[in-house]
Amino acid sequence: MTEQIPTDHTEQLPPGLQLEKVDDRIMTLNVGPQHPGSGHMRIIVKIDGDYIVDADPDPGYVHRGEEKMAEVRNYLLNIPHLERPVIHDSCNILYPYVLGVEDIVGIEVPERAKYVRVIAAELNRCVYIQYWLAIYGIFLGHSTMFMWPAGDRELMIDLLEKMTGARVTHSYFIPGGVRNDIPANFEDVCLRQVNYFEKRIKEYADIFYDNPILKARTEDTGVLSSQDAIRLGTTGSVLRASGIDYDVRVKEPYDVYEELDVHTNVLKDGDSYARSKIPWLDMFESCNIIRQALEKMPKSGSVRTKLRPNPKGVGNNEVYKRVESGRGAAGMHIISNGKPEPYRVKISPGSFRNLIALPYLLKGEKLGNMPAVYWSLNYWPVEADR
Amino acid sequence: MGTASGIIKALNSGIKHLAVKRFTLRYPEQKLKLVGDGYQFDPSTGVGIAGYKGRHMLFHDHCTGCNLCSIACEGVAEAIAMVKVPNTWKHNKKAIMPQIDYGKCVFCGLCVDACPFYALYMSNDYELSSFTKEGLIYTPQQLQVKPSVQQDAEIQIDDRGATHG
Repeated sequence: MTEQIPTDHTEQLPPGLQLEKVDDRIMTLNVGPQHPGSGHMRIIVKIDGDYIVDADPDPGYVHRGEEKMAEVRNYLLNIPHLERPVIHDSCNILYPYVLGVEDIVGIEVPERAKYVRVIAAELNRCVYIQYWLAIYGIFLGHSTMFMWPAGDRELMIDLLEKMTGARVTHSYFIPGGVRNDIPANFEDVCLRQVNYFEKRIKEYADIFYDNPILKARTEDTGVLSSQDAIRLGTTGSVLRASGIDYDVRVKEPYDVYEELDVHTNVLKDGDSYARSKIPWLDMFESCNIIRQALEKMPKSGSVRTKLRPNPKGVGNNEVYKRVESGRGAAGMHIISNGKPEPYRVKISPGSFRNLIALPYLLKGEKLGNMPAVYWSLNYWPVEADR
Repeated sequence: MGTASGIIKALNSGIKHLAVKRFTLRYPEQKLKLVGDGYQFDPSTGVGIAGYKGRHMLFHDHCTGCNLCSIACEGVAEAIAMVKVPNTWKHNKKAIMPQIDYGKCVFCGLCVDACPFYALYMSNDYELSSFTKEGLIYTPQQLQVKPSVQQDAEIQIDDRGATHG
């Protein structure tokens, strides 16, 4: 009673739904979208025994239409929803939008506000990386590495809460500066907690990064050569782990990053171990930047240029701004047609570009190494889907 | 470094942390101390005042019923509705005041920025859970009550680690 299905019909179906030729060696396995080891996405892996022969990431389960929503709201009301894709890195995902809108409506930012923004962005980067690291720990079965970063993250969240009034989704940056000044006595508290935070993350070396069990899992798995990293268009920590010295904060400095001494961490190996180590090294760099910014920040002055509640585009009508977010270069392309609402907002997140490398990295790996390779790409499903 | 010494080092690092203070906020008994009185906005300078973005506070004598907060919320969450207030109260000319649905509110604070009369600000109260959806809708009468919150835990850092003292 076998029913004949025409072969040309099956090819039109989306990936994963196609009827496949039964092979007694190759098995297709859907990892996700509910699997706690994949986030809100599916990875369709084909395995031969324990080895992956093909992997096809299938994102798009949490698409929210952020770009379309941005077209019907004015420049200020876009702020709360545009930071939703990455709620624990909301300052950095909003940064390029705010820089772009400042160009479009043509306003200057006070000097103090620029430093406050840099501090908020670096604190937020630490919050993101700690969350990422906690999940990387639990993916590899290292539950201590879940507890420690998740706990130490509280130090940074506490500082952001004092600054912005919210623990996540701060809505803090605004075209023309920031919403409110930092509270009194914030510098001392910030310096104390950042110093203690740095002392804490140094302790991760013994238990995680120098741990031979972690090294056995991650070294020489998912190797991405520097040529491939450029060819596939990866960004952020993935690019730097493959030996390319590229950081938007250094190469195209925005706000006051050119006045600060930013050091880029580069590793040569390009394997999962190097990719997991770069964000950890970036946290030390963030602590350095926060300390420098606290020192150089003007002690008083305005933090916000007055802007009418419904600003219209007057300057450039098309801008593209790029910043270094926790996951790599995050860009926003904003087009204005002189109306209060933007004509188009295109988000170019780092996550999506890093995901492109996944099928190439997984080919030939063992299935057990898939979480180690997948999460080392510094990928956040919601941001990639927008 | 050999495999055995690496494992011993990792275990040792974990054992050392038995002596480190516990960094846990025991929530219902302890509550984090928040900055100031809550997020406020100074219309004369156009800059906000740092504070926690929690449940709103409404000053009936400042509110003119101008609708600006609900217009600001339209593009964000549509949580603010302007409702008629009873004539027995002291009220503005239009006799309307904002009513906020906390089932929809995202606590961005743009309504506070929009208010030109300093009538609305956000307080330190964040414990808003309710058994019914209607319980999340706060009428102008409920919004004018100043919340009484007991928040005193702060992060203390010493040689033995950080703790919520």
